[in-house]
Amino acid sequence: MSRLAQPKPIPLPKRSGGGDAQDVCESCVDRIFSHGPSQCPIPGCRKTLRKHRFREQTFEDIQVEREVDIRKRVAAVFNRREDDFESLRDYNDYLNEVEDITFNLINNIDLEDTQKKFDKYQAAHEEEIMENASLAEKERMQFAAGQKAEREQAKQRRDAARREEAEEKREVLEGKKDVLNRLASGQDAESVAQEGQKVQLKKRMDRAAAAERQRQLQQQTASAPSGARNGSSNLVIKGLKAKTKKTAEPEAPIDPFGGLSFEGRKYYSLQDDYVWVGVQETKTDALIGAGGYDVSSFTSRALCEAFAGLGVFVGEEMEGRERREEDGNKVVTKGAELVAQGREKKVKIEDPF
Amino acid sequence: MTHALSEDDIYRTSTQYRLWSFSPESLSALRKKTHDLALERAQRYTGNDEPVEFLTQEEELRLVQRYCGQIRTTSDHFKWPVNVKATAVQYLTRFYLTNSTLTYPPKEIYKTVLFLACKTEATHMTLSEYARRISTEAEVVLAPEYKVMQALRFTLDVRQPFRGLKGALMELLNLAEGMVGGEELQAQMLDVPPPPQGTKTQWKHPGAGKVGAEQLHDRIQAAYSAARNLLDAPALLTDVYLLYTPSQILLAALHLADEPLTSFYLSTKLPTSSLTWPKILATVSACADMLASFSPPQVLTKDERNALEGKLERCRDPSTRDLVQAFAAMRQDGSGEEGEGVRKRRKLEREKSQKEGEDLFGPSLQRPKANGAGG
Repeated sequence: MSRLAQPKPIPLPKRSGGGDAQDVCESCVDRIFSHGPSQCPIPGCRKTLRKHRFREQTFEDIQVEREVDIRKRVAAVFNRREDDFESLRDYNDYLNEVEDITFNLINNIDLEDTQKKFDKYQAAHEEEIMENASLAEKERMQFAAGQKAEREQAKQRRDAARREEAEEKREVLEGKKDVLNRLASGQDAESVAQEGQKVQLKKRMDRAAAAERQRQLQQQTASAPSGARNGSSNLVIKGLKAKTKKTAEPEAPIDPFGGLSFEGRKYYSLQDDYVWVGVQETKTDALIGAGGYDVSSFTSRALCEAFAGLGVFVGEEMEGRERREEDGNKVVTKGAELVAQGREKKVKIEDPF
Repeated sequence: MTHALSEDDIYRTSTQYRLWSFSPESLSALRKKTHDLALERAQRYTGNDEPVEFLTQEEELRLVQRYCGQIRTTSDHFKWPVNVKATAVQYLTRFYLTNSTLTYPPKEIYKTVLFLACKTEATHMTLSEYARRISTEAEVVLAPEYKVMQALRFTLDVRQPFRGLKGALMELLNLAEGMVGGEELQAQMLDVPPPPQGTKTQWKHPGAGKVGAEQLHDRIQAAYSAARNLLDAPALLTDVYLLYTPSQILLAALHLADEPLTSFYLSTKLPTSSLTWPKILATVSACADMLASFSPPQVLTKDERNALEGKLERCRDPSTRDLVQAFAAMRQDGSGEEGEGVRKRRKLEREKSQKEGEDLFGPSLQRPKANGAGG
């Protein structure tokens, strides 16, 4: 049997200390390890293996597979971020050290020491490792969500385009049918053709408008905030400040009195409550309150009326106005004068209603 | 940039202040002028054959006053709100400022005025319902309506003291409870001397001992109802509405009802050192004097009224004798003859523009007329 015909080989599991990996075919794994842990089938290797630690191989080259495994394991522990460091230099030093450890593990250099260092670091910084891991997870989720939203948008755009196309087709068909109908009903062929041309022209204009719309849509997408763009390219740009949208100033409420206020009280100040029975009865009457009537509109009005004009001295103030008053009287007495001259019939007051 | 209006400024915006407030001199001058004009006109329609005795200005005034009383009794009979009564009376008074009873006898005007007041004061009823109630014809009510509106200068708002009086009552009661100026004012209020003999209030000082909160309460209520009565009869049958503001009228009524209480109330409103203080006091007491000077027997009795109206019948203006017919004729005029004229003119214009429109380059350009629609 050729090797190709065999079931997919499964690499040996990673071993602590970055031990060897070997590929074993699926049926062999079943055969050897189905009854529990057993010794490694490779001659000279005495390690005890378990079935559940075997898994499918991703890479053809077993060495690559092993290196990826190790790198994953190291990266999960040494997951510090650039923000954690004071300067770029520090961060680079850290990366260098991590790479040293990884390299040692992969190439089995100073295996004992390196493994010890690794374990020590893991034990010491367990909490921070967890924290950074959750942060990374969150970022990944956000990224995925962004991508999803972008896909959705693209789908909507495609749908809209499709709808437009279908509409166009339907219109063309309808136009043709219309022209045929007209011809069939015996209309003038020339005018029908002209009409048809007009319709076609209109269609063309519509198409131009649609193309324009499409272009605008694409422009919109291009100028969309950078957060959305991150979804499609694999480059996540950090440190971009989110743009805050400037909302328009809310419109000022309408002032029905054009800047006049009625708060310039001289003679009284409104109280919260009045003991007068009239007010109290109105306040407790459900029939009145149900419509939204507030008794304070009565009290404020009553008090305003009680003092509106207390300081107005009609006699004095009218003398100053006497002349204007006389002009006004002329208008009013005119009617009477006209009557006096016996011309009343000529004064027509039209029915305004 | 808000401009705060005081209560006085608010009152100055009203048409009652702008058009229907007078100094005593200008009021009597205006009435004299109206009367003289009516007499002058009367010279023309009577001719010189026989001497006719005309109503004097005094008689005219008393006749109008009698019909103000008539409006009051009618309104009371139907139990309409007091606002209707006050408004109608003011309409009638205002109407006869610029019109003479010789031209329009009040007997024909007062029904219209009352109907108009029902409308403006939101006491709605149909014209036929109203006519049925006061047992008259609908046309009689409608005929002088335009004349009345014109004489009222199309201002229908009448500021009245009734709601304001309730406001004062409200505030007085709160004062008595110590809710306005605190305990100090309350104590002062309890010490206000009792009303002297001869005032209108029904309240009597309990005699021995100090006045308690309970009695103070009664005193305020009694003063209110006395003032309310004063606002009903004398205030409506004298010229106070034309000479004073509603606020002054109601305080004058309170002043007549319980003078010490009102003085105390006013003193809580303004510092006695303020410049307007003596003026306000003087105005209120002048108004109170006017209210007090009124006595019911001044109003014409039915016989006197009949005598006066008989006299009026002989000297009245014949051209306004049949208002109903004039009204009907005017309506006819408005819809018939004139409508036809307008139609004819429009037709001519239409034809002209059509003719011009057929020219090759359209009608000729025209300068806008100098005296267009302005005349």
